[in-house]
Amino acid sequence: MSLKVFEGLKFKKKNTVIHRLDARTKGLYVISTMIIAVIFTDIVPLLLLLIICFVLAIMAKVVSEWIKTMKGVAIFALIIFILNFITITENRINQSIAMFLRFLVLSASFSIFFLTTSPDDFSQALLKMGIPYEYTLMLTIALRFIPTLARDVQTIIDAQRSRGLELEKGNIMKKIKNYIPILIPLIIYEIRRSIMIAEALESRAFGAEVKRTNLYETKLSLIDYASILIIFIFTILIIYLHYLHILPSIFYLKLPEI
Amino acid sequence: MMQIFLKNVSFWYGDSDKLVLKNINLKIDKGEFVLITGPSGCGKTTLCRILNGLIPNFYSGKLIGEINILGYDVRKTPTYVLAKNVGMVFQNPENQLFLSSVERELAFGLENLGMHPNEIRKKIYFISKIMGLESILEKAPYELSGGQQQKVAIASMLVMEPKILILDEPTSNLDPISTLNLIKLISDLNRKLDITIIVVEHRLELISPIVSRVILMKNGRIVLDGDPRKIFVEKKAEALGIGIPKVVEIYKELCKENIRLSRVPLSPKELVDEIRRIVYERKDN
Amino acid sequence: MREKIIEIRKLWFKYENTFVLKDINLDIYKGETIAILGENGAGKTTLIKHFNGLLKPTSGYVKVFGKDIRESSVAELARKVGMVFQNPDHQLFAETVWEEVAFALKNFGYSKKIIEKRVKWALEIMGLTQYSNNSPFSLSDGERKRLSIASILCYDPDIIVFDEPTVGQDFYQKERLAEILKLLATRGKTIIVVTHDIEFIVGRFNRIIVISKGKIIADGLASKILTNIELLRKANLYPPQLIYANYLFNEKKNISYIETPREFVKMILRRVYEPKSL
Repeated sequence: MSLKVFEGLKFKKKNTVIHRLDARTKGLYVISTMIIAVIFTDIVPLLLLLIICFVLAIMAKVVSEWIKTMKGVAIFALIIFILNFITITENRINQSIAMFLRFLVLSASFSIFFLTTSPDDFSQALLKMGIPYEYTLMLTIALRFIPTLARDVQTIIDAQRSRGLELEKGNIMKKIKNYIPILIPLIIYEIRRSIMIAEALESRAFGAEVKRTNLYETKLSLIDYASILIIFIFTILIIYLHYLHILPSIFYLKLPEI
Repeated sequence: MMQIFLKNVSFWYGDSDKLVLKNINLKIDKGEFVLITGPSGCGKTTLCRILNGLIPNFYSGKLIGEINILGYDVRKTPTYVLAKNVGMVFQNPENQLFLSSVERELAFGLENLGMHPNEIRKKIYFISKIMGLESILEKAPYELSGGQQQKVAIASMLVMEPKILILDEPTSNLDPISTLNLIKLISDLNRKLDITIIVVEHRLELISPIVSRVILMKNGRIVLDGDPRKIFVEKKAEALGIGIPKVVEIYKELCKENIRLSRVPLSPKELVDEIRRIVYERKDN
Repeated sequence: MREKIIEIRKLWFKYENTFVLKDINLDIYKGETIAILGENGAGKTTLIKHFNGLLKPTSGYVKVFGKDIRESSVAELARKVGMVFQNPDHQLFAETVWEEVAFALKNFGYSKKIIEKRVKWALEIMGLTQYSNNSPFSLSDGERKRLSIASILCYDPDIIVFDEPTVGQDFYQKERLAEILKLLATRGKTIIVVTHDIEFIVGRFNRIIVISKGKIIADGLASKILTNIELLRKANLYPPQLIYANYLFNEKKNISYIETPREFVKMILRRVYEPKSL
């Protein structure tokens, strides 16, 4: 179950309008979605946001992966629904469904972002926003070594099982203890690895006291500017109309309470 | 033209009182192709780290003696300055490649040095042509085979145009054919780019025929230093416990039978050529 | 009558939509010393992981001591088939060298008395007794390698498999390893070594299995296989120096299996004093 969630967050290289948008534009979309989702605790606006997300998924040709994430988070969303239903006294159906939808909307928009933005573009965007290169490189390296780490864990598990370690056996305490022969070699191994990576970084002039350049420069295109404009206008409009109480009443539709 | 000069150099790691390098005296000239070998723990890797400045800038310790690497004293020079001039390729390619495409790996060092993207592109183009990497520029390093990864690791150093390239057990993790290909590549680079190359290796069969000089180390000291054809037949070399190439052993056995080949062979081909020459000479007599 | 201890029929193994092992058929008998040779990615490690049940066949079967591996747990199989992994750092975790070796014995449920005896013995054989109370991480590379071997030897498995034991080892370390293999063989152990170190194999293994692209392309005497230059080339391997020298000298015909420089010289002497055969 948990692995399915990660499938929906892995970048898939495709040539769609959405993929070509700058990471900052897509980031703005996610932020605007978050803002709107927080302002409204009503079902209709949240559903609308979800539908917009779905449309974007279609445009980006990542529908099946997106649905995988949604399936993966559905459990958590359901838990949120139940918790709300139990604890709230007023308007419980509407509130609970709204919370449920809000969680889905947030996951959905993040999913779209990560499905259509490569880790490099993401790091690049962070860099443009002022985060120092050391940190974005840390992020890039961490992401790149995830599959390597997974492989190391498997090797360690294999090696210890070959010495008779049975991970499934025993009570809770024993099961936790069983992981010590896995965690210790893993931690030490990866610390050693990080030293070797650091050596390699030093040997390639990392940390030179000059201004670092970038082979790939991301620039905002016309479509980016247009998209940013649309998102801005849309968000500001919705908020404005909401606080002026001018939005059509369908936005505030409430389901009958039990 | 001398590029590396070490005189009476000794080194202790950190606060330890164990002497890891003892009184090293070493001179290496431009364009040489040097092999450094010796049993595990003899100090070969430590020596390499001094040559590119990882010691004492990354690994602290007490370093004494006279050191001149391309005019720099590693104790007074930051690593990034040395990195421009002395490239270092390590054993495990996996830990040297950490970006998402080969092209980015090649660009990394030059980006760190603040080079203009157009210049970077030119240099990447040049290196990928020389090393045959054009077809894999877009690939992620972890998708490549071990041999290809080492190639990329080497290329990512060469793109910075160092005058000296050090390779610390570069074929350790590679299988036979990849090892052969890598050694051929290194030999080509030494000739084509006129770059000084220092290789640390345990397996001597494939690399011995192409190097011009061998340095044998034991217990932190340089025990023998010179032409491989002279060094490998010395008694001291045998006592060292290194894997002397079998063809050299054959040469020594032939000497015991009073058959003297005209030179010490370093490869099967050289051995057979030498033997044939002797046999024909005998026939003529 | 030789006892068959591993039997493999029509083994196919799939990993992520590709078959890594294709139609493997193999019989291994008690007391053999076998080298499994092949390039990186040929499938050697995948094959040996079936011997102790870490991997189970996609189709076909693998029987160890007559029992299908699907019917046993890894722990049960590990007791009979010890596996020394390539990198000791993938397994070292204990506070002391003693504890590290005792780990497997504890897992297999041996009594304290027996554990004491066995750990002492294993450390002695591997020359690590003086480090009993030291941390495994304070040992040198070679010592850690010997420790990983000791941690398997201690529980005396009938079959011992080594995955690429010579990688990164210097000359002395490889000689020492060869001695250990010999010692184990004289004790009646069945030894299987996965390697691509051609020079190491010469004179040390009586049977060689060559794997290429998931298939066994040769299985037989070292003398036949290491002299078959074409076969080795097909498997992306090259022959040992002595044999290649022999190959060149005999103008690429009639290559005999030469194991030592001395033998090569004897052959040369015969030719030198019989110029007709040139």
